[in-house]
Amino acid sequence: MGLRDDVAKVLISEETLRARVAELGQAINATYTDADCPFLVCVLKGAFMFLADLTRNLEMRHEVDFMEISSYGTGTVSSGVVRILLDLEQNIEGRHVLIVEDIIDTGRTLDYITRNLQTRNPASLRVCTLLSKPSRREIDVPLDFVGFEVPDEFVVGYGLDFAEEYRNLPFIGVLKEEVYADSE
Amino acid sequence: MKVPDAIERVLLDEETIAARVRELAAQISADYADAEDLVLIGVLKGAFVFLADLARRLTVPHHVDFIALSSYNRGAVSMGAVRLIMDTRASVTGRHVLVVEDIVDTGYTLDYLLRTFRARQPASLRTCVLLNKPERRRIEVPIDYLGFEIPDVWVVGYGLDYADRFRTLPYIAVLKREVYEQRSGGTENQRSGENGVAR
Repeated sequence: MGLRDDVAKVLISEETLRARVAELGQAINATYTDADCPFLVCVLKGAFMFLADLTRNLEMRHEVDFMEISSYGTGTVSSGVVRILLDLEQNIEGRHVLIVEDIIDTGRTLDYITRNLQTRNPASLRVCTLLSKPSRREIDVPLDFVGFEVPDEFVVGYGLDFAEEYRNLPFIGVLKEEVYADSE
Repeated sequence: MKVPDAIERVLLDEETIAARVRELAAQISADYADAEDLVLIGVLKGAFVFLADLARRLTVPHHVDFIALSSYNRGAVSMGAVRLIMDTRASVTGRHVLVVEDIVDTGYTLDYLLRTFRARQPASLRTCVLLNKPERRRIEVPIDYLGFEIPDVWVVGYGLDYADRFRTLPYIAVLKREVYEQRSGGTENQRSGENGVAR
């Protein structure tokens, strides 16, 4: 299939993903109780696939809500400020919030989302990310649950896209350089 | 994983769902083999689990987009008065659109979506629905790809909720009647509204 031909290598296989997502689920199960009823905030679009698998491993009562964001443009990159296209349906005041992200690189967007949600006075706020690229970090953001640390390569699949493509690959792959070099 | 007390019985287990999703994905992949520009539009919140599994099994290139809806009069029987909270990110004009829904009961929500997208002149417009409750239908809607027909019972899991609960159970289960008759809660009311109307 065409999409797979653009992948230089499989970084994390479907089986490895499944096992690690189950482990993350167990770690989250050990952190929260039914009474906590954690409120999972999924940042669209990238995290939806991870969320679908992660939550099926959760045993405590919990709820799921979505946010969709977009950047304002190049001028605000360093502040991390993003435009909220879809805000949470529910009020999170007094709730145990768990942000679910696909990948953290510079940390600026997550930092902004975290600050934004903190103003709503949740009881607690934690972050679960499937992937982290520590070498790209520009701002220190605490990550409570991390699936995999990945090198600074162009990763796609399992929700992560390049120009909206490759999102549906069931594994995490590294995109061939010639695929994205043209557009930069 | 233990089955919650509020569950009467498991209607469709994980393996049954996974097998059917694979079949749907194979059918869709065959039908859209020559389509240039396919976009799957998931209706929040309910369809996100189905969409996640379906998209992974497709062998044709496609984009994924989301739409969020709400009903105007929560709890009352909706005549298709649906409020669009978040539109798709990308335009659908000239593209092959496949609307992905978790459940169709009255049909009002899907009818609204089809009218909305048709007005935008896509290259084609089809629907992929995991669950169909034909007994509840109030308005005719075309379902091009269907997972399962189910009886008129309150189902939860695999994206479907009761008052935001049970949404992420890995199977589809029937909720005990006394649970939803206690209070007319539920943001997605399967008796008086339709799954997927409210996010």
